[in-house]
Amino acid sequence: MNVNSLAVPGFSSDVRAFWAVVRREWTVFVRYPSWIVSLLIWPIIFPMGYLLTARALSGVDGSGLTTFQNTTGLTDYVGYIAVGTMIWMWQNIVLWSVGYSLRNEQMRGTLESNWLSPTWRFSYLLGSSVPQMVSMITLLVVSGLEYALFFGVKFNGSILLTILVILASIPAVYGLGFAFASIVITMKEANAFVFLVRGIVMIFCGITYPMAMLPAWMQATAQWLPQTYIIHAVRTASLSTEGFAGISHDLSMILFFGVIWLAIGYVLFVVMERRARKTGAIGQY
Amino acid sequence: MEIQTLSQPTLSSHLRALSALIRKDWKQYWRYPLNAVSSVFQPLIWIAPIYFMGLAFSVNGKAIGFSQYSGTTDFMSFILLGTVLENFINAVFWGMGYALKNDMDSGVMESNWLTPIPRLLILVGHSVTNLLVTMITSAGMLLFGGLLFGFHASGDVFRAFIPIIPMMLGLYGFGFAFAAVVMLLREANALVDMSSFLVQIFSGSNFPVNALPKFLLPIALALPLTYGLDAIRHYLIKTQTIVSIQLELLLLVIFMFVMLWIGITTFRSLEKRVRTLGTLGQH
Repeated sequence: MNVNSLAVPGFSSDVRAFWAVVRREWTVFVRYPSWIVSLLIWPIIFPMGYLLTARALSGVDGSGLTTFQNTTGLTDYVGYIAVGTMIWMWQNIVLWSVGYSLRNEQMRGTLESNWLSPTWRFSYLLGSSVPQMVSMITLLVVSGLEYALFFGVKFNGSILLTILVILASIPAVYGLGFAFASIVITMKEANAFVFLVRGIVMIFCGITYPMAMLPAWMQATAQWLPQTYIIHAVRTASLSTEGFAGISHDLSMILFFGVIWLAIGYVLFVVMERRARKTGAIGQY
Repeated sequence: MEIQTLSQPTLSSHLRALSALIRKDWKQYWRYPLNAVSSVFQPLIWIAPIYFMGLAFSVNGKAIGFSQYSGTTDFMSFILLGTVLENFINAVFWGMGYALKNDMDSGVMESNWLTPIPRLLILVGHSVTNLLVTMITSAGMLLFGGLLFGFHASGDVFRAFIPIIPMMLGLYGFGFAFAAVVMLLREANALVDMSSFLVQIFSGSNFPVNALPKFLLPIALALPLTYGLDAIRHYLIKTQTIVSIQLELLLLVIFMFVMLWIGITTFRSLEKRVRTLGTLGQH
């Protein structure tokens, strides 16, 4: 009988290695169930800060709200802010978890030994993203339910279109996470970079306000960030009745940026891998 | 010549230990200067969405709706000040517990504990660098925040210290109790993240608490920090207070004594328990 082992690299051995990483990450993930509490509480408390500030800005007699409606053309700020903050939370968690997956492996001291195995190394990153995607999809569903239940958000749009936008957003959101993982493994302590990137998304992509409130240069910059299109598309798909026509442009831009970010993520990974082998930095922490 | 060592505890040996702790933390903090940059800009990033959102609710930069709750149309000075005060609260409130956790993780907790220094002094020592660093980063934050969003303190800066002093001393009491809980549980990050976020919301760092829905208002009124933030804002930017300023100051002084008593008692009792369990060196 011909036994195909991991020592004879091939497509099926790469798939087996990928699957081993998925199973390992899943085992670690379910071993610490405290994430369930975070999953239930953060979708409520994170937008709450912005929602209550908006409530205070509205005034006792609602005069501020009238100004808001005249300025932005929006009637309901609650759903608008809730959806914006939900997408931001998704990207933020991906940056911390996928972005730090290799670094955590390095801290545990297992990265170097894994690196020596004759497998496709990108599968370490891909494999660690799968359980993360499952938890993030759960987060998005829980957020939607809680917003409807606690904040009274009316999702008048289409669930199918919302799912379509979220699926189309996965390459862009995770591509950025992959690029980040490569930077983190080189820079080691890169918390400040996570703060910077999530801050840019927070300010430029309009999580709590329409883009028209930004100065022209900031609006121009926002056009280069996929999260701008993701937030707009999810809002249109879930809150309005505009249908596919309302999201078609956003969808094409999201997919375009998805390809770009996946490519950047992969290239950075390859460059980092070569650099790390030359400098011997893989085992350092 | 008589040599005074740390093994013969005196006031001066305590002061030397305190100074050593402060210098160690100071050196460690500035070893990673990006952290300081992050401390200045991170809070500004958090409040930037509020700035742009606030513009949509304002006419010519004046938030009329906001003034109905707070007494000022200058919502950004209100929020910026709240954010700076929140930094100080975090430095004492959670900072001492985090510092103990770091000591546990780096394996020096047990050896520090064996030195003839009062345990509470170790906690206070950890908080001093935190407060100094917070003063520097908050000054930078006010400077950049003022340039970006505008900050106008029209009130009396010196009188603002009247509520700051009892509030901060009361926070030390809470910090002692929290440090003791960290010592016992050894892992409290998720709990701290959520609790500090909730305290920030309900103490009104970003909005006047009377804008809260009626069923949430009692939570805000039960937090002594709410009165501290409210009174400081009243002195600095002349906002209207939730209750009379005299009553707020009285509540803060009562809070200070009660929290210091609770904090010290809790710390002593939990510390004794940890030593009995023998889990001090574990993490």
